[in-house]
Amino acid sequence: MKKIMTIILTSVSVMVPVLARQSAPGEPSDESAVRFSPLHIYIDSGNQSLAAYQFELKATAGQIKVVGVEGGEHQAFKEAPYYDPAALANDRIIIAAFNTGRELPKAKTRIATIHLQITGDVEPEYELKLVVAADENGKEIPAEISCEKGDQK
Amino acid sequence: MKKTIENHDDESRLNLPEKLREDIKGLYQSSSTIPPEIDRAILDRAHQHFSRTKQRRIRWIAPWKIAAAAAVIIFAFSLSLNKLSGPAPEQAYQAVVQATDIDHNGRVDILDAFTLARQIERANPIKSEWDMNGDGQVDQSDVDTVALAAVRLDKGVL
Repeated sequence: MKKIMTIILTSVSVMVPVLARQSAPGEPSDESAVRFSPLHIYIDSGNQSLAAYQFELKATAGQIKVVGVEGGEHQAFKEAPYYDPAALANDRIIIAAFNTGRELPKAKTRIATIHLQITGDVEPEYELKLVVAADENGKEIPAEISCEKGDQK
Repeated sequence: MKKTIENHDDESRLNLPEKLREDIKGLYQSSSTIPPEIDRAILDRAHQHFSRTKQRRIRWIAPWKIAAAAAVIIFAFSLSLNKLSGPAPEQAYQAVVQATDIDHNGRVDILDAFTLARQIERANPIKSEWDMNGDGQVDQSDVDTVALAAVRLDKGVL
């Protein structure tokens, strides 16, 4: 009887930490260096006005966590954009914003800044995908999206 | 005990009459002896009692074992089930897509929110189906609902 109890208790004590670690894959496995860095996102809509955009960002290398999202430089996109709060503490985020006004940016403009927590020594790399960009009539327009790493803290 | 023996010694030294001494002895001597049948019966009862207690303990331990094993299995399965999202969230997501796809192009993105916002601003005809939060009016909170549906993370990976 004691043998069975010992086997059960041993299996529980072994399984719990193993499964707990599996269920939290985003957690850093060791105490590595943590730093914070902003990532500036730009959209270049050429000579057309930019009234709405949506993009997705995902880390392809390094260990990052989104810790905050800030609006862009132009008055039309100054306010914080829409994003899923679940993206905070995640390495993937979908960001979108629109403005129905007349004063809209053209050419290359910073539309948002994503604040990231970077863990470890691996320099993070990102995959950016512009889902949609539209003009003041809600018509899809061709545009280019790019990002620029800010100063680390 | 020593004291008792000393007392007895004192008694022998007292030169008491024979009759009195015999009477006193009779008082302290154990007159009854336990018959072997009673002895055996008591032993049998004791054996029965202790064997019953042992059986009861076995009966209690057996369900405990099963419960512990079941707890371990359920715990392991619940962790693995958390990773496998079933069809229920997918159905819920499809319902959200249908409701928030304002321009009916088959996907929910920021242009749906933009379209709805422009409809409200220009006081264009409003459809009751655009009342996302069911408060009886179509306003900025419904636009926000559509926009937040567009940026939901569980829409799929890049």
